[in-house]
Amino acid sequence: MRIKRLFVANRGEIAVRILRTARKLGIETVLGVSEADRASLGAEMADRAVVLGPAASARSYLDVRLVVHAAKATGCDALHPGYGFLSEKPELSRSCESEGIVFVGPRAETIEALGDKLAARAIARETGVRTVPGTAHMASLDAARAAAADLGYPVVMKASAGGGGRGMFKATGPAELEASFDRASREAESAFGDGRLYLERFVERARHVEVQIIGDGSGNVVHFGERDCSVQRRYQKLIEEAPASILPAATRERLHAAAVKLTSHSKYRNAGTVEFLYDVDRDDFYFIEVNSRIQVEHPVSEEITGQDLIARQLGVAAGEGVGLRQQDVKIAGHAIECRINAEDPRNNFAPSPGRITRWQPPAGEGVRLDTHARQGYLVPPFYDSMIGKLIARGRDRAEAVERMLAAIGTFVIDGPKTTLPLAGAIVGHRDFRNNLITTRWLEDIGLPAFMAG
Amino acid sequence: MNVKPQDIASLIELFESSQWDELYLKTQDLELFLSTDPHAKMAGSAPGTAPTLPPGLGLPSVQPTKTAEPTPDSAAQKDQPAVPPHWIAVTAPNLGTFYRSPKPGSPPFVEIGQAVEPQTELCLIEVMKLFTTLKAGVKGTVKRVCVKDAVMVEFGDILFYIEPA
Repeated sequence: MRIKRLFVANRGEIAVRILRTARKLGIETVLGVSEADRASLGAEMADRAVVLGPAASARSYLDVRLVVHAAKATGCDALHPGYGFLSEKPELSRSCESEGIVFVGPRAETIEALGDKLAARAIARETGVRTVPGTAHMASLDAARAAAADLGYPVVMKASAGGGGRGMFKATGPAELEASFDRASREAESAFGDGRLYLERFVERARHVEVQIIGDGSGNVVHFGERDCSVQRRYQKLIEEAPASILPAATRERLHAAAVKLTSHSKYRNAGTVEFLYDVDRDDFYFIEVNSRIQVEHPVSEEITGQDLIARQLGVAAGEGVGLRQQDVKIAGHAIECRINAEDPRNNFAPSPGRITRWQPPAGEGVRLDTHARQGYLVPPFYDSMIGKLIARGRDRAEAVERMLAAIGTFVIDGPKTTLPLAGAIVGHRDFRNNLITTRWLEDIGLPAFMAG
Repeated sequence: MNVKPQDIASLIELFESSQWDELYLKTQDLELFLSTDPHAKMAGSAPGTAPTLPPGLGLPSVQPTKTAEPTPDSAAQKDQPAVPPHWIAVTAPNLGTFYRSPKPGSPPFVEIGQAVEPQTELCLIEVMKLFTTLKAGVKGTVKRVCVKDAVMVEFGDILFYIEPA
């Protein structure tokens, strides 16, 4: 089929990003917005914007029925969920399918199977992809204590239904395990409606690496290289890059193969990311989870492959398959992305909504900005604080670093406080330049250095 | 819900840049009422002209009350005289399909000129086969029906004008 009219069920920069590609492909667009986003850049760009409900996400962006009704009533034949919001809700995929709307994402069953971490680990085991040594779900503190002794401390407790770093607790010994087991279970219950926990061995020097894949839904999967997202605060990514320069060539090849094998086995459809934890000391990697959506950091993969991943997503949704073979994906250069959040990094990352009184983005070779913000834009207090992503590409990592620093240096944002100054401090830090980052680097070294500077 | 001063500042800015006449926000420890009318009073703990607000919202909700713009579907409105300021607009609580009658072929819930009580049902809003009844929320007379039957309405679209009794 050919997609004629696409409903975009998201907001912010990803709505703008999807609209841009849809327009380029000659697809008509309808954007569902909340009352607070009525005058947003996306609403201007779309052929039509419809107001779903009030500012509160629960009554607008997060209401599956409302979104599908809007898509149907406006005559759309496909729906792109973006990331966050409903993107990984199986109900949306299922509801679209039953209403005859093409869902630009995986099948409901795939989202369900991969969304449950224990089920996803089982799929990994079936396909011979290693996971961090860990346990099945722990019924009691006693069972957890015995399992932790087997695994060896430190261990980390995780919510079976969790994601995005929420519901994770580290324990360096039995005392800490006892102290936080009940709390971890309670938080998992309240955050995800499922209090089940499992344990994993904690890797001391870990990097977060992930492989971008696109599957055609019948077992054919193409990867677009890997990314390194080790700069994290409380398991939230701040800076991402591609490729992951830390990996030896042989390890990189095994990593790609593992990601393709795992998603091919699930007959994965559309874009996804297979996340791994890379153990620097052992030069080995463990499967973490699959994110069954396009991700925030997809631009760095686009920059090193020259591919438009949103266009590929729409191609798969239209039944055209991935549209290229693995050997057609050529990886060249290096790209870095800094997330710009309207948060005050000097004040414990407190949200900083408000009017952007000055917005002067940088220009320059290899610089890209994905954003919905502009001068005069009011950052609403209701949603995620990300207002844009600054991306810099170079022939190698060092050039990408220099271009990023130059871009940050000329980027003027007045009004809300943002994480841009912090991004500059991180990318300019000698540990980052020397690529010595681990997932704990930002909290242990980067942030204290920034606060002191 | 922990409301910080900067949240209130943002809400005020949002309000000022909008065409809303009133904004009402209530959380556990804060009640905020903004109005362009210097004589406006907060009506108890409920927004006076937003009878369609369902209770128990998790997040602060911004509910426009009397939007100045006509709805795109209200072609009928063009030739009509301006709306007197004391009329109350009943707006769509969310996007959905507007139905004037309880069933196809049956008479409409209300006609122009009909007297209504706060509990009088005005129309149905359908979202994926789920029908919600919209009530008048005020005692008065139906003065205008602004939307054609069985069309999609968006959140905040004006559906009816009622002259309060």
